[in-house]
Amino acid sequence: MPSLLAIAADLSWPFAIALAWVAGEFGHRFTRLPRISFYGAVGFMLAQHQVGVLPQVGGAVGGAVGGAVGGDPMLLLADVAFGLILFELGYRINLRWLRNNPWIGVAGLVEAIGTFAVVDVIARAFGVAPITALLLASLAMSTSPASVLRVVNEERSAGQVTERLVHLTALNCVLAVFTFNAIVGYWMFHTSGDLLDAGLNSLMVMLASIAAGAVFGLLVPGMLRSLNSMGNIGNRSHDATTAFALAVIILVALTWTTRLSPLVATLSFGLAARHRRVALSQAQRNFGALGELLTVLLFVFAAATLQWANVRAGAALALAVIAGRFVTKIVGVAAFSQVGGITWRKGALTGMALTPVSAFVILLLEHARQRGIALPDELNALEAVTLMLELVGPIIVQRALIWARETPRED
Amino acid sequence: MPLEAFTQSDALTFGVELELQLVNLSDYDLTDASPDLLHLLGQAPFPGNVTPEITESMIEINSSVHTRHAPLLAQLQEIRDTLVRAGDKLNIGLCGGGTHPFQQWSSQKIFSKPRYQHLSDLYGYLAKQFTIFGQHVHIGCASGDDALYLLHALGRYIPHFIALSASSPFVQGRDTLFDSARLNSVFAFPMSGRAPFTLSWEDFATNYFAKMENTGIISSMKDFYWDLRPKPEFGTIELRVCDTPLTVERAAALAAYLQALCRDLLARRDQGHDTPAEDDYLVYNYNRFQACRFGLDGAITHPKTYATRPLREDIAATLRQMAPHAEALESTAALQHLADVTKQWSDAQYLRTQYQRRGGAEGMVDAAIRHFRGEPLFY
Repeated sequence: MPSLLAIAADLSWPFAIALAWVAGEFGHRFTRLPRISFYGAVGFMLAQHQVGVLPQVGGAVGGAVGGAVGGDPMLLLADVAFGLILFELGYRINLRWLRNNPWIGVAGLVEAIGTFAVVDVIARAFGVAPITALLLASLAMSTSPASVLRVVNEERSAGQVTERLVHLTALNCVLAVFTFNAIVGYWMFHTSGDLLDAGLNSLMVMLASIAAGAVFGLLVPGMLRSLNSMGNIGNRSHDATTAFALAVIILVALTWTTRLSPLVATLSFGLAARHRRVALSQAQRNFGALGELLTVLLFVFAAATLQWANVRAGAALALAVIAGRFVTKIVGVAAFSQVGGITWRKGALTGMALTPVSAFVILLLEHARQRGIALPDELNALEAVTLMLELVGPIIVQRALIWARETPRED
Repeated sequence: MPLEAFTQSDALTFGVELELQLVNLSDYDLTDASPDLLHLLGQAPFPGNVTPEITESMIEINSSVHTRHAPLLAQLQEIRDTLVRAGDKLNIGLCGGGTHPFQQWSSQKIFSKPRYQHLSDLYGYLAKQFTIFGQHVHIGCASGDDALYLLHALGRYIPHFIALSASSPFVQGRDTLFDSARLNSVFAFPMSGRAPFTLSWEDFATNYFAKMENTGIISSMKDFYWDLRPKPEFGTIELRVCDTPLTVERAAALAAYLQALCRDLLARRDQGHDTPAEDDYLVYNYNRFQACRFGLDGAITHPKTYATRPLREDIAATLRQMAPHAEALESTAALQHLADVTKQWSDAQYLRTQYQRRGGAEGMVDAAIRHFRGEPLFY
């Protein structure tokens, strides 16, 4: 007979997720703040290192690598949840727009590279080792697609801030993954001396992941199209949603067995599928109830990897990094707003909305560990950044969208 | 306030207004893009005029006053190109079409402008269901009496304009089986329909408008949503039944057809045998329904002879009769364009075909966007 303790441990995830959902619904009704901020708060509080309701998850940023990370089913589920979000993000990217209006890409590059430089300088000023400073800087370039898309969908916002925010988020993620992998590669080369195992390996992983996503992006819409041509039966857009969700799950599972990057693969899947033109309808935003459920799980999981002790230890540097990043992103995007066809105000609000960092960074680190890369222990400042922005980031996005008057007003 | 005097304008001058859809290029739904688009367009001179409309997913453009088809068409094309460039810069799709095929009216934002707020408060869901897109054509009239004569004499030709412009087969994701479902939304408004029968401006102003104003129901001509409406401050009559066609070329051709018809009606006025009468309206609503429902395949009943005739045939015959006027007005090409429509596709038929071919309403919107830009058609 299983002990009461074991039963309680088995039930801890379902209950934590349910609790987070309830907190999100009530919190959103009462405060109008984004639901995901509440999910993160619940996950963090219930985590092993805090209240201790949830079992140990992943390796925790900067902490000791937690044994069999590769086999953690929660990480797989989180990857699927994140994969659905990245697919949707990729699906909303219009590559032709980036060609028609090159200032968006320019703003994205300037803002991301600027953030990298500023955060690197700040970290070194705090006495962080150069390699850790570089890793921190590369991760700080990213913007959390999960926070951004969730808030955009929750607020039903539409307009230039929303559009640019989505495109710049994708750009930031790609740049962050690329830079992060390059630095990891460079660092491994220095520690192991094996060039082949380092730079080449991370580049190959990137390329193979992109290719895997692109293949899915060609196959799945092609299959849907031939289904459609077989006759007009039932609700087509619903079928498309299920098919895309299943494809994301398979793609994530494949990247796990092949050790490719699920982040890059699902993003590239969404991009390729969009340009094959089988549109999801409005009702399928967030992948409906499935996406809703997995998002709760994702945010609870991400926050549960964080430790209060590390957060406190890294708090001062974290605040400096957040401030530097915040200002750089606003200035970087706003500088190109007029030439890009929008007001200074909307440009600055777009930069502001690029603030969130959360699950993306955590998953990126977990996957680096999975590939057997031992990351420096001093990344705990990042843990503090992640926690603060997981809670506050969505609120900042929400404010930016409201101030830009891109959300439906209730008057 | 009594109805203002009818401003005299040059007979047969004309101008066009078009309401256009703003579409999100990711999911092809309507998107609330007009504030950003208007901001960008405000940075450079605009050929013509562009204004916000009742919802933020719609803009209205209008041409200047013209006397000939070619310059009108050239200006509309210039406006179109300016809009398309701005849309490309902001990732916004622009297209014609009388309705958006799958937008949900409940998710539309009302543009914050007092008049629209007032309409929204008054009409409730009707105001949001009014997310429909029409073409208005103004024809200059030398006097108020001319305006009323043309307005009633044109009643017989209203189905022509409905069928030739029809581009709203889908509403909220479903095929309505109407070629112009848009007009059904217009008819829901209490002040829609047709103007009261009188051929004297004096009579219209004192006996009709003044009384209506006394009832307190209306306060200006703007409160009437008639199919054809006099616009005394411009000195025009305004045709309001057309869906926004998928291309500006068709919009210009429709305006030229109306101009030619007016020239013909004015020339025939003194011959006496086609004088408009109240009884002409006996067949009016049913003819209009036939045109909305079946488009070019409808059948209409002649108001004088009661003979029933396929609409397609009636239009083709009328276009042939207008040939001398088109020559005089230099709009032969425009009438030829419409003659081709009667032989080939209306916009509504084209959209339905795209729905089938491209496997859904999103593909239909994509086709409309490409069509509006002037990209070559693919059937």
